[in-house]
Amino acid sequence: MNSYYAATLLVYAGVDIIACLAINLQFGISGIVNFSFIVFQAVGAYTAAVLSMPPDTANGGYQIYVGGFQLPFPIPWIGGALAGGLLAIPVGLVVLRKLRTDYQAIALLVLSVIANSVITNARPFLNGAAGIAQVPGPFSDQVDPLSQSYQLLYVGLTVPCVVLVWIVASRIVNSPYGRSLRAMREHELAASALGKNPVQLKMTIFIVGGVIGGLSGAILVGYITLWAPSVWLYPETIILFAAVIVGGRGNNVGAILGALLVPVGFEEATRLIPPVIFGWMPPPNLIPALQWVVIGLLIIGFLWFRPQGVRPEPRRVFEGAPVREDPQDARTA
Amino acid sequence: MNLYVAALGFGLVSVSVIAIAAVGFTMQFGITNMINLAYGEVMIVCAYAAFYVNRAGVNIWIAMIAGAFVGAVLSFLLNRFLYAPFQRRGTNLIVMVIVSLAASLMIANVLLPIVGYYTSSYQVDQGPLLRSNGLVLTTAQIAIIAVAVVLMLAIHGLLRYTRLGKAMRATAANPTLARNCGIPTQRVIDVVWLVTGALCGVAGVVAGMNSDNFSVASGAGYLITIIAAAVLGGAGQPYGAMIGALIIGMVTELSAAAIAPEYKDVVAFGMLVLVMVLRPQGLLAKRGALAAAG
Repeated sequence: MNSYYAATLLVYAGVDIIACLAINLQFGISGIVNFSFIVFQAVGAYTAAVLSMPPDTANGGYQIYVGGFQLPFPIPWIGGALAGGLLAIPVGLVVLRKLRTDYQAIALLVLSVIANSVITNARPFLNGAAGIAQVPGPFSDQVDPLSQSYQLLYVGLTVPCVVLVWIVASRIVNSPYGRSLRAMREHELAASALGKNPVQLKMTIFIVGGVIGGLSGAILVGYITLWAPSVWLYPETIILFAAVIVGGRGNNVGAILGALLVPVGFEEATRLIPPVIFGWMPPPNLIPALQWVVIGLLIIGFLWFRPQGVRPEPRRVFEGAPVREDPQDARTA
Repeated sequence: MNLYVAALGFGLVSVSVIAIAAVGFTMQFGITNMINLAYGEVMIVCAYAAFYVNRAGVNIWIAMIAGAFVGAVLSFLLNRFLYAPFQRRGTNLIVMVIVSLAASLMIANVLLPIVGYYTSSYQVDQGPLLRSNGLVLTTAQIAIIAVAVVLMLAIHGLLRYTRLGKAMRATAANPTLARNCGIPTQRVIDVVWLVTGALCGVAGVVAGMNSDNFSVASGAGYLITIIAAAVLGGAGQPYGAMIGALIIGMVTELSAAAIAPEYKDVVAFGMLVLVMVLRPQGLLAKRGALAAAG
């Protein structure tokens, strides 16, 4: 295993962990099924790209996009995160106020498909289906991006972001605000009867999730230097949901475990499948298609056999509260 | 102006396609309380089933029956072995949506290696052109409209005038009460999935005929239009879905003439957003065939 591969794996793992923590905050803790999560990642990535790239007339103008500000390192990442948060405001205002939870989910799913089709078709905006290439990563003007030390540098930039998001996520989960979110998830009516405003709670966590999603996109785009509609199709969100469901929804450690097991571990494991199996060469599109089938099986299998995931959400009980002997957790129902 | 008259003609065909699909989708939701996000993919499976029958030399209108059959069986199995067991456990609505999305993903990716990435198209004898006042339609297009009208009348007749339809409406209104009144709700729901699955199959075939070509990737686009029509009309309301289909189909085709055809889905989405902001319960609100008989 060479160090490039290790660095790639670490950066991907970091991005997936950040994304899964955000999904866990929204889905695991608050019960919001954000099927358009990948759109927030995409917005962060596009924003970071156009903030760090030269104007589109550079490089012979073979790609067209808005912006091109050539800003130095932390600004594109911060900008990406902010863009994710900004997008969450109008989307949240439309989706989260009146609709029933399952309607919210399908509205967000539809948004994800449509956003992708708009960006694909509107070429002058972000170069359409071809996407934006040659996105300069942080410090790529000072360190050769192909060198080994740059790989290390990138890992060194990713890890603090993961730690930061982890701290924010666990602070939220353990705070009184996190308790309100869980109360809302379990019983929205009861939570509002106690004076909690569900729309406000949902909007806040939706924006926080948007910021984190945007950051994950900004980190990813600087590393892969390319961003196109084909990398943020709506099934990508489902992988992240699979990760959180497998890991344990409502549990940050579970979300990280899920990120390492499903998007990272699972995708890497299929690389080990030999190109020729017992003298039979599978057609080129068979393995990726089967990967998706297995993702679906993972989701359905876990929801059926172990809905709480590998690391279940810790049950929080007041000391001195009467212990309920009822083994059937209300959530699994 | 001629462009808009022509678009009106295309709109009528679109409305027919969307209506067939949306009525099936909305009945699944209304009667079995299941937002079946795999609906678009089942349509594609049926479209391909009919495609292979068609390619074997069978007329497309007969192949459509094969599509309907595949749709009915597949939807029935999907409910029996996936949705119903989860629902029996009392799984909450959010988790059901995730399950159906996972099912959609699996169906699409089982299909993909079998049929390939490339687009396919039917061999349809379009028949002579029929013109009237600038409205130009092929005979095949008129046949699609006729199929839709016949199916809508059949659904209306089923829900309104048969014992089975009454049982369906009762199950939709209150499954527990219906069961206590001696209605075999389990069997009624099985029949609902067979009927709506057949509608889904026919919808897949006519959608394939109407759009020149189709591929596995078309499923998501179909689903969005269907959701838009169903939600616009009021989810769970068959007559609402018909009205929703009429509005969505006409507006998207006219917008295709006015703006650009690539943005048809976007216009459908814009209308969906408007409905969700202004009238989330849909146009027909709580009235319609599936409400308790008054």
